[in-house]
Amino acid sequence: MADLLQFVITGITVGMVYALIALGFVLVWKSSGVANLALGQLVLIFSWFTYGMLVQAGLPLWLGFALVILFAVVLGWLIERVALRPLIAQPILSLITVTLGLAYFIEGVVTFIWPKSVAALPRLFPQEPIHIGTAVVSQAYLWAAAISLILFGLLSLFFKYHKMGIAMRATADDQMAVQACGIPVTKIFSRSWMLACMLAAIGGVLMSSIGGITYGLVETGLKAFSVVILGGLDSFLGAIIAGPIIGLAENLGGGYLTPLTWPGVREVIPFIIIIIVMFLKPYGLFGEVRIERI
Amino acid sequence: MDLPCGTRGYSYAEDMAIIRTKTQWALFLTLLALLLTMPLYVRSDYWLGVANLIGITLIAATGLNILTGYCGQLSIGHAGFIAVGAYTSAVLTNRLELPFVVGLLAAGFTAGLIGLVFGIPSMRVKGFYLAIATIAAQFIIIWVINHWGITHGTSSLIVPYASIGGFVFRSEASQFYLIIGIAILCTFFAKNLARARVGRAFIAIRDNDLAAQVMGINLFKYKLLAFFIGCFLAGIAGSLLAHCFYGSLLAEYFSLKESILYIGMIIIGGLGTTLGPILGVLFVRLLHQILTVEVVPFLEGALTALPAGFATGISPMLFGLIIILFLVLEPRGLAHRWNLFKSAYRLWPFSY
Repeated sequence: MADLLQFVITGITVGMVYALIALGFVLVWKSSGVANLALGQLVLIFSWFTYGMLVQAGLPLWLGFALVILFAVVLGWLIERVALRPLIAQPILSLITVTLGLAYFIEGVVTFIWPKSVAALPRLFPQEPIHIGTAVVSQAYLWAAAISLILFGLLSLFFKYHKMGIAMRATADDQMAVQACGIPVTKIFSRSWMLACMLAAIGGVLMSSIGGITYGLVETGLKAFSVVILGGLDSFLGAIIAGPIIGLAENLGGGYLTPLTWPGVREVIPFIIIIIVMFLKPYGLFGEVRIERI
Repeated sequence: MDLPCGTRGYSYAEDMAIIRTKTQWALFLTLLALLLTMPLYVRSDYWLGVANLIGITLIAATGLNILTGYCGQLSIGHAGFIAVGAYTSAVLTNRLELPFVVGLLAAGFTAGLIGLVFGIPSMRVKGFYLAIATIAAQFIIIWVINHWGITHGTSSLIVPYASIGGFVFRSEASQFYLIIGIAILCTFFAKNLARARVGRAFIAIRDNDLAAQVMGINLFKYKLLAFFIGCFLAGIAGSLLAHCFYGSLLAEYFSLKESILYIGMIIIGGLGTTLGPILGVLFVRLLHQILTVEVVPFLEGALTALPAGFATGISPMLFGLIIILFLVLEPRGLAHRWNLFKSAYRLWPFSY
């Protein structure tokens, strides 16, 4: 049973980071109806960029992180402006595939600039592990969870009180009405991409402070898809709840199913969950069931 | 726009013929002759190998085009289905020592059936949901292949040469004829499928599946049929890839990147056209070859200060960029450009 607590704590904390990344996806999906399949690659490039700033350029932490956030905002703006703005009102197939092209491009950029396959960030959090009951948890997990929680709080305040946040929610609700009120919808799209990229960057830094920078970060981004599928594509609450569930399932499954199946089962559990959710409840736990009319 | 001026059909058969005019027949036969005599004038085994890869890719891309281009069901797990075909065929011929033809057909059917399983969610969801389901399919398939005892994807699985009867397809030239024969068959099949009831049902589903259902199209049947055909062709391509191209298989040949590249090919070529996959595959594979064989070594020789990841990073960067640019600037692909060129050529020197 000693393992159980360990798995639960690791699962929930990692799941919160997944939820953070997934929020970026939900944000873009809600405001502009674009499914961002380049999420994993975005997480990857931001982690490498952090590496470039902190290790290769040797900048102090605060400056490095400020530059990473700046880079995320600029990249988000650029992606929306160059790749997605011209595709407004195009069929969903084009909107999805353009982000696939983006994913391919970003992966190319990463191998172009950082041909190494693994790297480690400098130590961001205290090293010594913390004992919780029988479990030994590295502090990076707890810090990641705490930072995610703080960001959830900030985001919900942002959506509730900030003018831009309210405009984003309004856009998600009814684009036409928002436009009629004189809110520039394209600006909202662009802001939501910036925010999504920022979340991906923070999620990437947190994940790579836990496990180092590897190609596995792309799969972290893909796991965020299983979070949004489970939680419902258009639900912030769903993403926040589904994140820890996925993390939990992944760690518990990895812990207890590996002897029964094959190694590496941990990595595919989120994908198996996707398939199961598709069969049982395709719109997720909290997603809005869309009724289509001709 | 489709036909030159003055082309008339005096019977139904004439009207439905794919090749209508004498010029078209002449061009078609010339092209066929050029294609079939290719091993005679392309002497290098290397470029014949490239031609083989293009042929195999064309088979897979034709399948994906039926699934995504005609039926509108986006599949980002195509490389996974190709892997199913490749491994089925490899396991059957290597471990059970069955003949190649059995392996080839079994590869198609197994991939088709696996495709059906992952296609079932398409009944209830579409668009992004389906895309994610197929990505999940890709990862689950590769995981199973990697860890299952009889496939064991992390260490290479030796595949025997393709053989029919007593004849072994050992040289690149003989493999070329095998592949190109199947590729021509597939293209012909896809062209006719698109014109028949099934293809029209697919197009109706792509444009609006609810409206199609109201018109009496059985969505369940046709969506699954599209998945089956698309993945069947992927399986055939996988089998050929195993027997005629790789020779020994590793699961990492069939990555998610490869799946994205297949989507890219049919977008670049033009979704929902017969010509599209051909142009797209030629464009992507030839560009890749020219880039890695000619341009990169040249640049590396000419410029000394290149970053270390230049050789491996440049082609995904370029292809990603090309996919984005095509979607933004020419979403109907090269096939549409070709049609524009044809109609302009027919009317020249008049503007319309």
